[in-house]
Parts: sequence; C-alpha cells; structure tokens
Amino acid sequence: MGWLRHQKHALTAALGRLRAQPVSTLLTALAMGVAISLPAVLYLGLGNLGQVAGNLPAQPEISLFLDTRAADAQRAAIAARLKQPDIAEARFVPRDEALAALSAAQGLADISAGLTQNPLPDAWVVRPQATSRESLTRVADELGKLPGVAETHLDSLWADRLQAALAIGRAGVWLLASLFAIALIAISGNAIRAQVLARRDEILVSRLIGATDRYIRRPFLYLGALQGLLGGLAAIGVLAIAGAILRAPVERLAALYGSTFHLLAPTPVEIGAVLALTAAFGWIGAWLSVTRALQQVEAAR
Amino acid sequence: MINFSQVTKRYPGGHEALSAVNLSIEQGELVFLIGHSGAGKSTLLKLIAAIERPTSGMVTLSGQNVGRLTRLAVPYLRRNIGLVFQDHKLLFDRSVIDNVMLPLDIAGFDRREAIKRARAVIDKVGLLMREKANPVSLSGGEQQRLCIARALVSRPALLLADEPTGNLDAGYAADIMAMFRDFHQVGTTLVIATHDDRAISALGGRTLRLDHGRIEEVAA
Repeated sequence: MGWLRHQKHALTAALGRLRAQPVSTLLTALAMGVAISLPAVLYLGLGNLGQVAGNLPAQPEISLFLDTRAADAQRAAIAARLKQPDIAEARFVPRDEALAALSAAQGLADISAGLTQNPLPDAWVVRPQATSRESLTRVADELGKLPGVAETHLDSLWADRLQAALAIGRAGVWLLASLFAIALIAISGNAIRAQVLARRDEILVSRLIGATDRYIRRPFLYLGALQGLLGGLAAIGVLAIAGAILRAPVERLAALYGSTFHLLAPTPVEIGAVLALTAAFGWIGAWLSVTRALQQVEAAR
Repeated sequence: MINFSQVTKRYPGGHEALSAVNLSIEQGELVFLIGHSGAGKSTLLKLIAAIERPTSGMVTLSGQNVGRLTRLAVPYLRRNIGLVFQDHKLLFDRSVIDNVMLPLDIAGFDRREAIKRARAVIDKVGLLMREKANPVSLSGGEQQRLCIARALVSRPALLLADEPTGNLDAGYAADIMAMFRDFHQVGTTLVIATHDDRAISALGGRTLRLDHGRIEEVAA
C-alpha cells in the first residue's frame, strides 16, 4: 500500500538534498558532464566523419566491361538489369568516350596516339545501393554472369578502408564510453558516500525504529539518479558549447573545399540515451555506495 | 511475551554482560530493571529489540526467536517495539512533528493519517505547542518526552526504555513516570531500565535486579 507513497517520499527527500547543497551538486554534475562529454564528442565526431565520407565522390563502384562482340539484345538486357532498385546509379561509358578520356589524361596521350584502333570495350560504371563488402561482392558476381559481360572490376578498396577505420572508431567509442561509465559510477558513488556519512544519525535511528534497508537506500538511489541526470544535462551543455565554437571554422573549411558540410547535432534519441545512461550509472554508483555504507554503519554501532 | 532462556552475552574483548539469564515477562506487565551501571541492563533491552544478538541461549518475543532473525526480518520486529533512549536519538534536521512521524513514514502510512496520529501523541506528551519547533530548542525533559512520543506513535504492544529519566531533574522524571503508568494502564507492556528508586516506588510493578550479568527478582 505504501509503495507509491514511499517512492514519492524518497523523490521529495532526494530533491531536497540536492537543493540543500547547490555547490556540491553543481560540481558533481560538472565532473560527470565532462567525463561523459568525451565519448559523446568522439561518437558525434564519427557521425560527422561518416557524413563527410558519404559526400565524397570515391564511392565503392563496380566497373562492368562489355564483350566487344555482345549483341544489341544482350546490351539492352544489361541496361534493363541496371535499372533495378538495388543499383543506386549506373553510367554508360561508350568506348570512344573512354578513349577520349584516356587521351586527355596527362601522360597517356602519347600511348593513345600510337594506337591504330580503339582497344577499349564499352563499359558501365555501377554504384550499388548497399555498400557493405559482402553485398558489393555479391552484386559484382551476379553482374559478371550476365551474358555479354566480359569482366567486372570491383573497386572496393576505398570502402574496405573506410569500414575498417570506422570500425576502429566505433570500438574506440565503446571502449571510452565503458571507461567513463566506470568513472561516472565512481563519481556518483563518492558524492553519495558523502551524503550517507552526513546522514549517519538518520540512518542509525531509522534502522532502530524499523526501517528496512530498502527504505533507507531509496532516497539515496533517487539522489544518485538525479545527480546522474544533471551530469547528463551538463554533458549536453558541453556538447552544445563545443558545437557552437566549432561550427563557424568547420563550415569555413568546408566552404573552401566547395562543400556544404554542416556539423550534425545529436538527435533527440541520442540525447535521451545519454540522459538515461547517466541517470542509470548515477543510480548504480549510489547503490554500491549506500549498500557498503549500510554495512559499515551497522558494524560500527 | 518475552522469554530469556540461558542467555549469555559476551562482547568482543571478553566482557560478559549477561550470564545465563532466565527471564519471563508476560503481556501487559510493567517491569523495572535496576542495577549499577554496567550491570547489563542496556544489553538486556538490546537483546529484546535485536540490536544485539545473544552469544548463547535463546531470546524469544511473542514466540519469535529474536536472536535468529535475518537482517531483512529485523525491521518488522522493531516496528512492534517502542524504543526510548537515554540520549533520545532525535533528528535535529527536522521539526518535532516530523521526528514523531518518522516511524509512520517508515511503515508507509498515509501522510494525513500520520499527521493526525502524530498530533495526538504529541498532545499526550504535552508538546503540541512546540510541534513546528526544532528539537534542538527543547529542554532535556521535553526532548525525552518527544522521544517517548516517537516510540508510542505506532502504538506498539511493547515499550523498552533505557534510563528514560537518567538526565532529568525530579519534576520531569515524575512526569515521565506518570506517563508510563498511563500506558501501562491501557495494556502496553513496559520494560524500563532505571536506577531511579523514587520512580519505582511510585509506580509499583515488578522489579528485577541485575548484578554483574546475573538477574534476581526483587520482592515488592
């Protein structure tokens, strides 16, 4: 019957304790905020890097060289296949255009001038919808089996390198996030420990007149979660300030490269996740701290 | 209601506070524990409330083996016991009424009901004018009365008091003993540790003397 009342009571008590010590509350929130903002900055940086990579022309491409003896019907069938939805873009390069491009390229004009006839085949440059290594290979294999296709060449090196780099980055984010989650638990645990010590008498008296451990623990858990939440808000504040400082120079650099690149802000879901996680880790820190303190207080009596 | 069977309590360091004590207290009894300081009066009360555990022997309260209760069960035992401490153990970060309401909050009472009950018991100990005050501003006698109010607010069947008049002058002490007599008359079981002989002779009741950890009945 008293469960909801106990929760409300504990929440009110926790809010009161936060308000009673505004300076230490603020300092703890700042320490948490700075700790959490580091992996958050890395995470957002990776997101932005992914956006840059997405805008680069060097996309994973499949070059499709046609058999010089391919019949018109086969060519039409290939063109039809390349209009299907798994292909993002397909560009036909006639052999004359390819030769012209080759002649225009510096240092190759001499070679092409020596040719008596055009040795180049007609070609398609294909950009598939999916960019993972497996799907690229699969599409390339399938296209290579079409009648009239002499050879396919998968230019996946760039894609592989990007994937590998992003994988390291993502692993780094998780590693850093785990480390700072531990730091967050430690910060919260320490802040709550101070609170527990300051309330030693209350804990002792409450135990003596019939309080359960849960009853005693509850306001401290709320305190930890609220403190964590404030830490999360501080982290988002740090990100907002960092974004405001970096925006102008980044966009100027992008403009010099002729790009319309903008810094990506965290989405509401990401902000929500940061707040939920900091609150959760604040709670865990409080739980560890108050459980330990309960045992000590009891033993020291 | 309370039963001690061959109870010995030895503290770490070897001091034996109680030695093979046998004792039986019936429901509704008024019992005084007397004896010099260090005779084991506090220890006996602490064993009943599961604040200490016996080294050997068995303490039962309403049939429950108190010494064997788990940490989880102890709070529920204590909710049925009113504890009055010589040093009051009041909380000075809250008002008189909030101190009295603490046991009701712990038991999960509705707030309005809790306020009503707390008011009634504060009135009974004569502190209604001071309900909003901080206990630090109360005199020693008032603090002791507040401690008693807190012990009684959840209407326990058993009240344990350790030197409730220890620090008080005669007038206050008589007030508080009169209060205990009233509770005894409405059926509460009281066990009071004291060295205040005047109080005992005024109230009557059963008297037990503790001497170096051994207990003996004192003839009325």
